[in-house]
Amino acid sequence: MARQTSPMLATPVPGIGTAAGHRVARTKPVAGFFVNPAAIVVVLLSIFPFVLSLAMTFSNWNLLYTGAQFIGLDNWQRLLGDATFRRSVTNTLWMTAAGTVIQYAIGLGLALSVLRIRRGQRFFRLVFLLPMMISPAAVGYIIGRMQFSETQGPINDILRHLELGAVPWISNPAMAPWTIVIADVWQWTSFMFVLLLAGLQSLPEEPFEAAQVDGASSWQIFVQLTLPMLMPVTVTAVLIRSLELFKLIDLVRVITAGGPGTATQTVTLYVYDLALNRGDMGYGATVAYALLILVTIYALIYLGVTRRSVENAR
Amino acid sequence: MVKRLRPIVPYIPLTIWSVVILFPLYWMVITSFKQPIDINRGISYVPWVDFSPSLHAWQDLAVGTVPVVGPLRNSLLAAAISSLAAVVLGGMAGYGLARFSYKWGPWRNQEIAFWFISQRMLPPAAAILAFMVMFRYLHLLDSVAGLAIAYTGFNLPFAIWIMRDFFAALPRELEEASLVEGATWWTTFIRIAVPLAMPGLAATGILLFIFSWNEYLFASLLAFESAKTMPVTIAGMATAIGTKWWLMSALAIVSMTPTVLLGLLLERYIVRGLTAGAIK
Repeated sequence: MARQTSPMLATPVPGIGTAAGHRVARTKPVAGFFVNPAAIVVVLLSIFPFVLSLAMTFSNWNLLYTGAQFIGLDNWQRLLGDATFRRSVTNTLWMTAAGTVIQYAIGLGLALSVLRIRRGQRFFRLVFLLPMMISPAAVGYIIGRMQFSETQGPINDILRHLELGAVPWISNPAMAPWTIVIADVWQWTSFMFVLLLAGLQSLPEEPFEAAQVDGASSWQIFVQLTLPMLMPVTVTAVLIRSLELFKLIDLVRVITAGGPGTATQTVTLYVYDLALNRGDMGYGATVAYALLILVTIYALIYLGVTRRSVENAR
Repeated sequence: MVKRLRPIVPYIPLTIWSVVILFPLYWMVITSFKQPIDINRGISYVPWVDFSPSLHAWQDLAVGTVPVVGPLRNSLLAAAISSLAAVVLGGMAGYGLARFSYKWGPWRNQEIAFWFISQRMLPPAAAILAFMVMFRYLHLLDSVAGLAIAYTGFNLPFAIWIMRDFFAALPRELEEASLVEGATWWTTFIRIAVPLAMPGLAATGILLFIFSWNEYLFASLLAFESAKTMPVTIAGMATAIGTKWWLMSALAIVSMTPTVLLGLLLERYIVRGLTAGAIK
């Protein structure tokens, strides 16, 4: 178990991934030659844009008008009173939580199931890989628009045949976020499956054999052995998926365009809308930065809360 | 009786989920062969039984009613160039982080690697508006080159993160022997380490290619007209001709065929790439 770590959350844990103990002791001049080009590219294409965006949050720059002025914290003040922003944050948080939890539950179930079968493993693995290969824009169309089309989609058709009645998947503000979550679950449950399967396969066998000899039930084994030992992979997989869901835009853009009303507006879609349709770069950058701050706070809390259970698993 | 049924139980959820995945894809394929009249007549499930398949949507695509060739070319170029650039730069940096000790102020290798990957974890919305500004000044808006540059920046942290793992897992003896014989670090890297890490480099490259091919946010704001990619074309159609299901289906099939084929043929590499950063 010592090597099973979660480097995605690599808060300085010594020796993960690097060749600890084998390190070439002195830093050679050639060392910089390997890392510096990448570092320069990241500074230019990531650090600089983030800094520039931060600067933009203090300006009233609009693409539709000429000239931009420094307006201090006005944008940030506007943010606090912006109901659409608040709604988009709640929507994003809600869809992130629902999507991540459902994907984890189904992904784990599928990973455990595939390990128990002898024939057909490869078939299922290939089928489960498919959704991840498709662009979310196309998934939004294939799942959200076609399957859940209220009048011409097969799902409502089947529901009508079962006499359960048609469901307003897209047009009902309470239902629309679920439709988006379902589309995301369709696409990304496979990611949880792949990671959790690899995690399960890397677990040592001895504790499980010992538990069986002791007469533990499968449920006891699952709760007391599998889940805790799988913790490092769980923490990583959930972190990656939730961070991705925080950025959600393409599915929403295709399925509901944020509607009905603002029922499915996400923060990134709001930024997109502000910049593209209103040219409001200053305020768009502010909304985007608010998301960045939110995500950073979330990641820090998440890593803090999960640290203990990850360490226990080692 | 219960004992005998046991081996079948795990097949139940697996089969259900396979149907959940495959049915919408089946639906999309048959829809691309439907005519407006078939759709207006009601919901039909089986070609030749419920409706007679027609090629008219595919003919529309072939004649160019909806532009496909341009977006396909743009997607291909942006994805190929950026993943290649990211694998080269990321491979070098990953190798460096696996083999040398760095000291950037208080930061050691671990913190440097984390700094790289954290760039990928932050929401891109906060960078995208700055990209619009930068590209406006550099005249890179709506160009494939601009998109390839943006994707390189986006892909590089991920490439570094997984390539570092792949290089760290390689045995050092061969490289040490090469160094003892007087080869430089660079020749050792190119002649010994890179060939050994080829599966890892391939896994990284394929994964980055798929990410970039499917990317929407950057593409929609940086390449809206002549450099439009497939995802942007699809998203644009969704509102404009939302009810032309047959055409949308054909378009979606075209956009996903390359990546789905890559996925089916190179499953091993993709799974390796996906799990590399997370499980050791």
